Amino acid sequence: MEKATRYRGWGLLFTATILLGTACSKKDTPAPDEPVGVVTLSFSHTVKGVPMVLNGPAYTNALGETYTIRKFKYYISNIVLGNGSVSDAEKESYHLVDQASTASLSFNLLPKVNSYTTLSFVLGVDSLRNVSGAQGGALDPLNDMFWTWTTGYIMAKMEGNSPLSNQPNNRIEYHLGGFSGPHSVLKKITLALPPGKTLDVRKGQISAIRIAADLDAWWQQPNSISIAGLPICTTPGAQAKAIADNYAKMFTITEVINN
Amino acid sequence: MLLCLVSGILFFNACSKKDRIPGNGTVYNPTFLTLQLPAGWPAPAFSIFAANPLTEEGFQLGRKLFYDGRLSRDGNFPCASCHQQFAAFATYDHDLSHGIDNQFTTRNAPGLFNLAWMRELHWDGGINHIEVQPLAPITAPNEMGEQLSQVLQKLKNDTGYVRMFKLAFEDGAITSQHMLKALAQYMGSILSYNSKYDKVKRGEANFTLSEQQGYTFFKAKCETCHKEPLFTDFSYRNTGLTLNTFTNDFGRMRITGNRADSLKFKVPSLRNAALTFPYTHDGRLYTLGQVLDHYRNTVAPGPTLDPLLTGGIPMTSTERGNLILFLNTLTDTVLTKDPRFAAF
Ligand code: HEC
Ligand code: HEC
Repeated sequence: MEKATRYRGWGLLFTATILLGTACSKKDTPAPDEPVGVVTLSFSHTVKGVPMVLNGPAYTNALGETYTIRKFKYYISNIVLGNGSVSDAEKESYHLVDQASTASLSFNLLPKVNSYTTLSFVLGVDSLRNVSGAQGGALDPLNDMFWTWTTGYIMAKMEGNSPLSNQPNNRIEYHLGGFSGPHSVLKKITLALPPGKTLDVRKGQISAIRIAADLDAWWQQPNSISIAGLPICTTPGAQAKAIADNYAKMFTITEVINN
Repeated sequence: MLLCLVSGILFFNACSKKDRIPGNGTVYNPTFLTLQLPAGWPAPAFSIFAANPLTEEGFQLGRKLFYDGRLSRDGNFPCASCHQQFAAFATYDHDLSHGIDNQFTTRNAPGLFNLAWMRELHWDGGINHIEVQPLAPITAPNEMGEQLSQVLQKLKNDTGYVRMFKLAFEDGAITSQHMLKALAQYMGSILSYNSKYDKVKRGEANFTLSEQQGYTFFKAKCETCHKEPLFTDFSYRNTGLTLNTFTNDFGRMRITGNRADSLKFKVPSLRNAALTFPYTHDGRLYTLGQVLDHYRNTVAPGPTLDPLLTGGIPMTSTERGNLILFLNTLTDTVLTKDPRFAAF
C-alpha cells in the first residue's frame, strides 16, 4: 500500500495528466518521501538482428519460408527489478508494446533507489486480470488484444503475409493467448543484466534499460514452426503454447545506462 | 470561458468532491445499493459487485445502455432486441435471434436473470465475467456489428450520456470499462424469485395436486442438473442432442479444446421456462412437451453423453403432463412486468 501511494505520487510528476484524476480521486495519504528514481525501459524490435519494418521487406524464417509483418504487439506485465533478496515490483504493471506506436516502445518505471541486477516481467497479462471483468488503460478491450468469444487477453499478436500461407490474401495471423491449464502461454521472463553491470537507481536521476526483441525466435527452439503448416493460430491451445515456448526467448538486454 | 470551465471539471472535479460548479446536475454523489438476495438462497460464490459497487446511477446508466440501439452499427439492435423483458429477457418465439444485416445468431438467446450467481456465461461458458460479456454481442458481425470505439464515440456525442456517466462514476469518463460496468450493474440486478414455485416455497401459495406430482418427479429425475433454487448446477452436460450440422456447434469443447467436452452445453435455468421457448442451445425444440419427449425418446448415445441420461428418462404421459404443469409454476410475472427493468 505504501508503495502504491509512492508510485502514484511520482506518476503525478512524470506522466500524463490522466493520472492526475486517479491520484486525486483515490483518497490516499500523501506520498511519503521514500526515495525513488526513474528507469526508462525501451524496446526495439528486430528480425535476425535487423530492425523490424512493418509492411516492409520480406523476412525468412529458419525453414526458409518468407513473410512480411503487418502487426507486432504484446503485453508486458508484472515488472520486477531485483538484486538478490531485494526486489521492487511496479504497481499496476501493464504495458502494451506495439511496433506501430513509437510511444508504446518506451515507458518509465519508478523504482526504489537501489542497485539492481535483474529485470523480470510476464510476457502477457497475468491470469487474475483475465478473470476480473472490464479493465482500463493498457488492458482496455479497445486495444484490440481481447477475445470476445472466450474471455481472455491476446498476449502477443503478429500478423502479416506469406506466399506459404493457404489463407485468403496469403494472410498469416498469430493471436496467442490462453492463461490457464497446460496450454497457458504466460511466460515469466527474467533477464540478467550484462555481467558486472548493475542498474543504479538514484533519486532525481534517470537510468535506462534497452531491450531488443527478435521476432525470429518465434519460429524455432524449442519448437519448429512452419508457416505453411500453421499460417493461422488464433485460439488458445497446444499450437499457441508451442509458439509461446519459442517467443519466451526473444528478449535480450542490449544496454544499461546509468546517469 | 467555457473551455476553462470544461477543463476545470475535467481536472479538478475528482479532487474537490464538495465544491462543484452548481446547477449542472452532474455531481457525483451516488446512492449505493445492496442487491437483496432472496431469503434462503445460497450466496453467490463471488460477488459481481465487489469491484463494481452497485449504485442507482450505475444501474440506470446500464438500463439506458441495454435499451439503446446505438450500441449497434445501424441503430436497430439494442441488447433488448434479443433480450425482451416479457420473455424473461430471452428472445420470444425465436429459435435463433435476428442480428444486423439480416443475419441470425448461431445460438438461442437465453433469458437473463439471476446472473449474479453465474460465474460463466454463454452456452459454452466461454465468458468468465458478466462485465466483459457485452463485448461479444456488440462486436459480433451477426449480432450488433459495431466497433467498440464507435460505440464510445456515439455515447460521448450525447450530452445525456455525458451527464449519466458523471453521475455514475467518480471520474465521469466515458470509457469501455465504465460502460461495461454499468451494463453489469443493470443485468446483475435482474432477479427472478417471485414465481408460483417461490410462493409455494415461502408458504404463500399451494401447488395443485398435478403440479406437486410434477415437482416430485422433477426432484427425482431432473434435480441433479437443474438444481434448486436456481434450477441449474452451472455444469456442462451432453443431453444427447445430436450435432447441429449447420452450425457445427460442439459447445464446451470449443472453449476447453478437450474432446471430453464435445457436445456439452451449460445446464440452463428452468426458471421462466414457459416464456423462453424455443429451447436448447440452438432452439431446435419448440415446446416443453418436445423437450420432455427428447428426454423420453431421442437421447442419442455417444461417448460424452451424461451418464444420468443413458437410456433417456422414461416417463408416462401423466408424468409428462404433470412435469409441464410444474415447469409452468416457474414463470415469474413480477419480473416480466417490473418497471425497474423496463425500457428507459
Ligand atoms: C442479436 C441478438 C442478441 C443481441 C443484440 C444481444 N444478445 Fe445477448 N445473447 C444472445 C445469444 C444468442 C446468446 C447466447 C450466446 C452463446 O451462448 O453463445 C446471448 C447471451 C447473453 C448473455 C449470457 C447469458 C447466459 O446465461 O449465459 C448475456 C449476459 C447477454 N447475452 C447480454 C447481452 C447484452 C448486455 C447485450 C447488449 C450489449 C446483448 N446480450 C445483445 C443474443 C443477443
Ligand atoms: C444430465 C443433466 C440433466 C438432466 C438430468 C436433465 N437436464 Fe434438462 N437440460 C440439461 C442441459 C445440459 C440442457 C441444455 C441442453 C442443450 O441445449 O444442449 C437442458 C435443457 C433443458 C430444457 C430447455 C431449457 C432451455 O431454456 O432451453 C428443459 C425445459 C429441461 N432441460 C428440462 C428438464 C427436465 C424436466 C428434466 C427431468 C425430466 C431434465 N431437464 C433433466 C441437463 C439436464
